[in-house]
Amino acid sequence: MARVNPDFRNTLLNYGTEDFSACYNCGNCTAVCSLSDENNSFPRKVIRSSVLGLEDELITTVDPWLCYYCGDCSETCPREANPGELMMSVRRYLTSRYDWTGLSQLFYTSKIWEIAAIVFLALVVLLLFVFFHGPMTTELTAEGGVKLNTFAPWKTIELGDWIMAGILSFFLLSNIFNMYLKMVVKNKMKIPFRFYFTELWALIFNFFSQWRFKKCEPREITFWSNLKSGKYNYWIVHFLLMSGYVILFTMIVGFLGWFQTETIHRWYHPQRLLGYYATFGLIVGVIYFSVLRIKKQNEKSKHSHFTDWTFLILLFITAITGILVHIFRINGLPNLTYYLYVIHLMVLFPMLMIEVPFSKWSHLAYRPFAIYFNNLITRARNREKN
Amino acid sequence: MKNNIGVYICQCGSNISDYVDVEKVRDEVSKIEGVAIAKTTMFACADSTQKEIIEDVRNKKLDAMVVASCSPKLHLFTFRNVAIRAGLNPYHYVQVNIREQDSWAHSDHPAEATLKAIGLVSAGIARVKHSKALKSIDIPSRNAVAILGAGVSGMRAAIEMADMGTEVHLIEREHFVGGRTSQWSQLFTTRQSGEEVVSGLYNKIINNENISLYTGAELLSMKGSVGDFKAKIRIIPRYIKADCILKDNQELLNATLKAINACPVEISDDFNFNITKRKAIYKNYHSEFPECPAIDYEHCTKCGECAKYLDAVDFEQKEQEVEINVGAFVVATGFDPYEPEKGEYAYAEVENVITLPQFKRLIEMNEKELTYRNKAVKNIAYIYCVGSRQTEGKNNYCSRYCCTSAIHAAIHARNKYRDINNFHINRGIRTYGKQELLYEESSRNGDIYLQFDEENIPVVEKQGEKLIIKVKDILTQEKELEVEADLLVLVTGMVPRKHSKVSDILKIPLGRDHFFNEIHPKLKPVETVIDGVFICGACQAPFNITETIKSSLSAASKANALISKGKIELEPTIAEINPEQCSWCGACTEVCLYDAIRKIGHNGKEIAEVDESKCKGCGMCLPVCDQNAINLIGYTDKEIESFIDALIS
Repeated sequence: MARVNPDFRNTLLNYGTEDFSACYNCGNCTAVCSLSDENNSFPRKVIRSSVLGLEDELITTVDPWLCYYCGDCSETCPREANPGELMMSVRRYLTSRYDWTGLSQLFYTSKIWEIAAIVFLALVVLLLFVFFHGPMTTELTAEGGVKLNTFAPWKTIELGDWIMAGILSFFLLSNIFNMYLKMVVKNKMKIPFRFYFTELWALIFNFFSQWRFKKCEPREITFWSNLKSGKYNYWIVHFLLMSGYVILFTMIVGFLGWFQTETIHRWYHPQRLLGYYATFGLIVGVIYFSVLRIKKQNEKSKHSHFTDWTFLILLFITAITGILVHIFRINGLPNLTYYLYVIHLMVLFPMLMIEVPFSKWSHLAYRPFAIYFNNLITRARNREKN
Repeated sequence: MKNNIGVYICQCGSNISDYVDVEKVRDEVSKIEGVAIAKTTMFACADSTQKEIIEDVRNKKLDAMVVASCSPKLHLFTFRNVAIRAGLNPYHYVQVNIREQDSWAHSDHPAEATLKAIGLVSAGIARVKHSKALKSIDIPSRNAVAILGAGVSGMRAAIEMADMGTEVHLIEREHFVGGRTSQWSQLFTTRQSGEEVVSGLYNKIINNENISLYTGAELLSMKGSVGDFKAKIRIIPRYIKADCILKDNQELLNATLKAINACPVEISDDFNFNITKRKAIYKNYHSEFPECPAIDYEHCTKCGECAKYLDAVDFEQKEQEVEINVGAFVVATGFDPYEPEKGEYAYAEVENVITLPQFKRLIEMNEKELTYRNKAVKNIAYIYCVGSRQTEGKNNYCSRYCCTSAIHAAIHARNKYRDINNFHINRGIRTYGKQELLYEESSRNGDIYLQFDEENIPVVEKQGEKLIIKVKDILTQEKELEVEADLLVLVTGMVPRKHSKVSDILKIPLGRDHFFNEIHPKLKPVETVIDGVFICGACQAPFNITETIKSSLSAASKANALISKGKIELEPTIAEINPEQCSWCGACTEVCLYDAIRKIGHNGKEIAEVDESKCKGCGMCLPVCDQNAINLIGYTDKEIESFIDALIS
């Protein structure tokens, strides 16, 4: 039997939610939500669990990950209890609960710890370069480019990338497994083994498309009219940002030898085109979302937790320094290239290390996995019913 | 016998004429002997028709009128007034209902409806032929009132009536005024305390020459009737001289405190709803009125300890009986809080279970930290609707004030003490009107609301020092939840006053909820079926203070309007005894609800006599009279028999 715990409200307040206790359970939020359905009814249920401090309910529920924060619920809440922001904060809370190291909780609830961790990891990168960098040659290549692979041989950097990717994957995957334990195993559902394969499409499809995100817009309006009136802008920009990020991450970790070359390829070379597309996606995304957060006009951008800003700022600096490294390299400015390269990695490394397994970036895994787990549960439940 | 009768058949727009052939009715009834004129009319109640009827009466010298239209509840007095303006006695008018009892009821059978209308109108004509001119009964009235209960309701009514020039006898059973309101601390919406509200009223009462206040006084008996009641009051001694006024007299105050200290008698303190003890000499709070302390007549042993410190103690005072003569009563005796049964939510079995009134006193008594029985209280659970809204039990009604009151107390506790958690276990919150603001404030404070229904009531268990309350919360998919609490407050409703003899003495009927009953909840909300007896405040139904004051003001103005003219006009349609036929068997007195029939001597025999000022003309005595010696004026046997004859012929 669950014990009511009013102090839990304070826990959630640490994760950025505004006070939701004015809620009087009318259920308006669930009624206006375009994504809520019979199987997954939210936000009311999530709010109720939060108000009563039913942590077990919250930890085992998939629902917060099925919400993409269109803000309709907060806009129409008669008590201004801000259900949308609560759902966001519950996602932050869940992220910290899936994380078994406790670091996520630390970073989400303390600005100081988050900044200290960033600075520490940046210094690690700096020191590695101070001690292990290659010769800072001012000699240029035949095409007039900087010899970056002399200063930072791609093989060495790639080794570092792999180590980093290894650590990231370890934390992220173990957290996802933790999520699986809480969401699926704790629910005591018997799930036939084949479902894990037949439902895999949901994981992959949703990872790349964020298809449900698009559904936040009212269903009766057609795809094209939504596109024309700008209702899909958010989804499209988010897609640009996400795809840019995935491309860059793949090139850096998987194909650094192909990506970090001294040869200056022609502008239409896939290496440069992909790089430009990805950088464009990142810059446009960061600016678009930052402007929305500053303007605070639509509901989903009204409330910014400090981790939202940390993420945008780190991403912005990474993208800008990346562009500059590229410009300085092809224009033959060796010292600037080297310094910028070090700075670029000093931002990139902490960003990935902190954001991917422990903070906001982790939603790239949690969201599609939640849909995947949810499909498993729903199918198993329907099977039981029949 | 009237034989120059005017008959008007109303179409009521089309309400009647769509189903009843009014032309045919007119043609038929105009053939009846004695009918001088018969007309149909679009709207009988319209101004132009009223004028037309008046002219007909004057020009054709009509001696009686019949209007066949709607229910007499709607327009009896309209047409009686038409008769008066035309110079006809209003009792020569009979209204026939051919709308509610005919056209509306038989809209599927218009032909039969027309026949029924002919019958009804003919019967009305037959009845009016035998009508007699009647005059209203005038009885003298004293412009004096007895107000029972000096709570906020009684005090407010007293001030109002005194200001309008009525002599007021304000009678309070306790030794101090203020009633329940003086027991509450901060009040919503004004943030005044109950003590402040009471002080404001008391100062007005004490400076008003028209008001006599009796404390420690109780109504013993009542005789007479409206305009001229004689009431006996019993006053118990206070054992303190009236000049012992503590206000601004530090020396006297100290002496009083010493006297209270010295008193060896300890009894449970009903001012604090029995969660504390008090002495036999007492004063509930510093600014309580009247300013002098009092000695509990019932429990004092007259040991004399207090008299050693306080000279004003006077054991010579005796119980008194006073008789007053008033024109009306205003009853404002208030309510009792519901007392849960032993074991109801562990009440009286587990010590940290208390009622809402007790909790309010507890907040008032604890300054810095909230403790109950020396244990700190942080988590407070409230179970709502205790003793209210029972579908099985006695109290089916909603007491209306308790949701607001509990939430208000919860906010008060949270503001006054640190780290309080409130758990409201309710059956739906009913904080209507402005009180909704409190509900909102409380939820924004972080109070937790759980909701149960009557089929699944919460279960209270004791685990060590703590209470565990199990609730099936219908706001969380009926999930079974647990609340851990240091204190459980049972939110109790209002019930009628225990041991109240007032309803027996004044013969005020009780409603199904056992509160005093008004005649009509909307149209006559403070009047009772006993002429001259008015009710107001929470003796009538659960009311909050605002509603109480509103009803006390209406009772005050109704009472004043009734008795301040010096005479009261009563309906003449009452029972009448034929002294020749009556041989006194007493059957009529037994059935009389209003105590209006008494035995008198007449020409050497005993007969019954009707008290004109008490009889309501209900007719209960008629059928029990063997000798057929009783007639109801306006409904005499002749009138009713001819009515029936016409209807069936």
